Amino acid sequence: MKEEPIKSFRDIPGEEVLCSGTPACAGCGGLLTLRHCLKALGDRVVIVNAASCFTLLAIYPLNPFKNSWLYTAMASAPAGAQGVRDALDVLIEKGKLDSEEDLKVVVLTGDGSAYDMGLSSTSGALYRNLDFYYICYDNEAYGNTGFQESGATPLGSKTATTPPGERHPIGSELPKKDLFEIWKSHRPPYLATISPAYPIDLINKFKRAGQYRGPKLFISLVPCPPGWGTDPSRSVDLAKLAVETGVWALKEAVRGEVGHTVVPKRFKPVEEYLRGQGRFAHLFRPVRQEETLREIQERVDEYWRLHKLLL
Amino acid sequence: MLSLRFHGRGGQGAKVASRILGTAAFLEGFYVQDFPLYGAERRGAPITAFAHISEDPIMERGVISDPDMVVVMDETLLQDTRAKPLSGLRKNGVILINTSRTPEEVTADHGVEAQVVTLDMTKMSLTMLGEPILSTPAGAAAARIVGIGEESLKEAVENVLAGILSEGEELDENVKLALSVFLAVTPLDITTVEALPEASPVIIVPFEPAHISSPTINALGNSPLRKTGNWRVFRPVWNREVCTKCMACLARCPDGCISLDEEGFPCVDYENCKGCLICVRVCPAEGIERVREAQVL
Repeated sequence: MKEEPIKSFRDIPGEEVLCSGTPACAGCGGLLTLRHCLKALGDRVVIVNAASCFTLLAIYPLNPFKNSWLYTAMASAPAGAQGVRDALDVLIEKGKLDSEEDLKVVVLTGDGSAYDMGLSSTSGALYRNLDFYYICYDNEAYGNTGFQESGATPLGSKTATTPPGERHPIGSELPKKDLFEIWKSHRPPYLATISPAYPIDLINKFKRAGQYRGPKLFISLVPCPPGWGTDPSRSVDLAKLAVETGVWALKEAVRGEVGHTVVPKRFKPVEEYLRGQGRFAHLFRPVRQEETLREIQERVDEYWRLHKLLL
Repeated sequence: MLSLRFHGRGGQGAKVASRILGTAAFLEGFYVQDFPLYGAERRGAPITAFAHISEDPIMERGVISDPDMVVVMDETLLQDTRAKPLSGLRKNGVILINTSRTPEEVTADHGVEAQVVTLDMTKMSLTMLGEPILSTPAGAAAARIVGIGEESLKEAVENVLAGILSEGEELDENVKLALSVFLAVTPLDITTVEALPEASPVIIVPFEPAHISSPTINALGNSPLRKTGNWRVFRPVWNREVCTKCMACLARCPDGCISLDEEGFPCVDYENCKGCLICVRVCPAEGIERVREAQVL
C-alpha cells in the first residue's frame, strides 16, 4: 500500500503515540527520533527493545508507550522479533487472531547493539527475510553505561574508553563502521538513514518502507547531550549540522538501489559540526590537531565524491 | 564522625560535590569516605551522594540513612516523594538548601527541627560559570559549614576538577566560585542527637519465578504521571504577539510536551516539560523566551 508523502510540519500526525514523563535526558535526540517514528508507525506495533538507554523508558509501574513493548538482552532483539512475528503469524493462521488485528514488529536498539553485540542476530533476521522494522538510534557510543567506545564511534571522538592523552591525542583512532553498507549487502527490501532534525523526511521514509514485506531498517544519528558534551538545547541544531556538513548522509536503499533524500546545496565545513561538542574539544584546544581534522573532512568529501554528489 | 548526604539531579554535580568535600576534609587530615549511589540515573533524575568525615578510621560501609547534614542542591526535590532528602536527618542537624529563599521561609514550609542554611548556588554558578552546574558551590558550602579551611578547599577543587575539566580557564573560575561561597557561608556547630527513626519497614523480597518477579505493566501511556517538569532550571515562555504558528517548536520537542490550543497557538505541558529549551533555539520568530524557574515560583 503506497501512501502520499507529507510536505510540512502541519502534516505530521498530531497524536502523541509516545507519552511524556520518560526518564530520558532533557534534549535526547534518540527520544525525538522515536517520537516521530511512532507517529509514522502508529500504535499497532510491538516494540522489541534491546538493552539500551531506552530500556529505561518503561520502568515499573510507568510506561510511555500506547503499544506493546518487550525487553530483550542486548544481542538478541532481532531474535525476539522473530519469535513475536512467528507467534502473530501462527495465531492468524489458526484463526485465533483476526488478520486485521495484526501488529507491526519493531526492533529498537542503540548503536552498541546494532553495530556490535546484536550484529549477528540482525544478520540472521535479514538472512531469513523477517518481516519487521528495525530502528537504531545511534549516539556513537555506549551511552547508557557512561559513553564507552562502540563500533559506531567516529574517528577523533573522546569516549570513556578513548580519553585523549599523550599516547592517543585524538581520542578514538578507529573510523565508524558503515552499518548501512553491512545491512545493504544482505539485500533487504528497504533501508534508510534518518535524522531527528528532519521529521518530514523521516516520516516519508516510513511511509515508503510500509510497502515492503521483509526487513525495513533505519539508522538515526542522534545527539546525546551528556555523551557529546553539548547543551540539551542544541540537539536539533547539531543533528541538522551533521546533515548540512555531509557527516550524516540522509539516504535510502530500495532493493539495493541507493538514493540520497537530502543533499545540501553547499556543504558546510565539518569543523562547524565538530566545534562546540565536548567529545571533539581536544581536536581544537590547546592546539589544533590539523592532521585529524583534515582526515575527518577528507573522509566526508570522499563519500560524497564516490556518490558523484561532490565534484 | 560527621555523615553528610547530598541530593541533586543528574548533571547538577552531586557526586562531584561530595568528592570535593571529601578531598578537602582529607587534606585537612581527616579520615574520609565519599561515594555516590549508583542506579539508572539520567540527567535530571534524583541523585544521592554521601560523605563520612572522621578523626578515627571509618568502619561503616554503605549508604547513610541518618546523616548529620543534608545538602539539597535542588529545592524541588523537597517535594519529591521518592527522593525524600530530609528523611533520617538527625535532630539539630544541618540542612543546606540551594534556594533564593530565606532559612525562615524554608523552615516554615517544612517544619523541621534542624539548622537551615540557604544559598542561591544556581544564581552564583550562572553568574560566575555561565552554567547551572552546582558541584563546586555545593561542595564548597558543605566544606565551609563543617569547618574546613580555605587552602584545603581550594586545593580540593583544583585536584578534583583538574581530572574533569579540559579548560584551564574553567578551573580558575571554579576556584573563584568556591572562594566566594566560602565567604558567603559560616561554619556551624554540628552536635546532633540521634532522632527516633521513622518506622522503616524492612521488606524481604522472596525468590519468585519470572512470571511473578518480573513486573508487567498493563497501563498504556501512564508515564506523564512522572512529573519531569521539576527537572527544569529555565522554562520556555511563548510570546503570542510574534508567534506565527509555524509549528517548529511542536515538531522539535523530544518529549512531545507541546500541543496546539483552540486558536492554533502552541501551548506547553509544564508538568512534564524537562526544560531542554530546544524550542527556544529553533523558533524562527524568536518568540520563545527562557525564564529562570525561581522567578516563576
